[in-house]
Amino acid sequence: DTVTTSVPQGDVDNLLQQVADEAGLELNMELPSGVQSTTIGASTQVSQEQDELTQRLARLRQAE
Amino acid sequence: GSGGGNYSPGPGDPLLAKQKHHHRRAFEYISKALKIDEENEGHKELAIELYRKGIKELEDGIAVDCWSGRGDVWDRAQRLHDKMQTNLSMARDRLHFLASGRKLTIGTK
Repeated sequence: DTVTTSVPQGDVDNLLQQVADEAGLELNMELPSGVQSTTIGASTQVSQEQDELTQRLARLRQAE
Repeated sequence: GSGGGNYSPGPGDPLLAKQKHHHRRAFEYISKALKIDEENEGHKELAIELYRKGIKELEDGIAVDCWSGRGDVWDRAQRLHDKMQTNLSMARDRLHFLASGRKLTIGTK
């Protein structure tokens, strides 16, 4: 069975912080910014674009 | 903090930026050429023109020296170089096929 209780938001935050402290976590840890993934993404993207051209050119050649 | 000094911008080298620039233009030209070519409804002259422009960009991109550095970005640049080489060869074949089939003069050297 489910018991619904109304808990003030401040208490929830405090509890979360307490749990996080015990676990040694940084709650305010920022998610990885876009910088790194963008750099990697851009580099592999150019490769994929060239691959796409290769595939399309190959298909046309087969259709000749 | 947000003012970290370990930000590493893009390709990081003018040569690699140049290679990427030519890749980008080649991709745009050849993609458009392929689209027309695949539809197979005339307009082959336009496809031929776009292939020629794309081929020029591939040649310029391939001419960029990407063996003067070491590391991941250079490895990737060398793989991109190889892929552009492949596509240059295939695009040239396609251009010749279209041009000969249409009995067009395409500014032969």
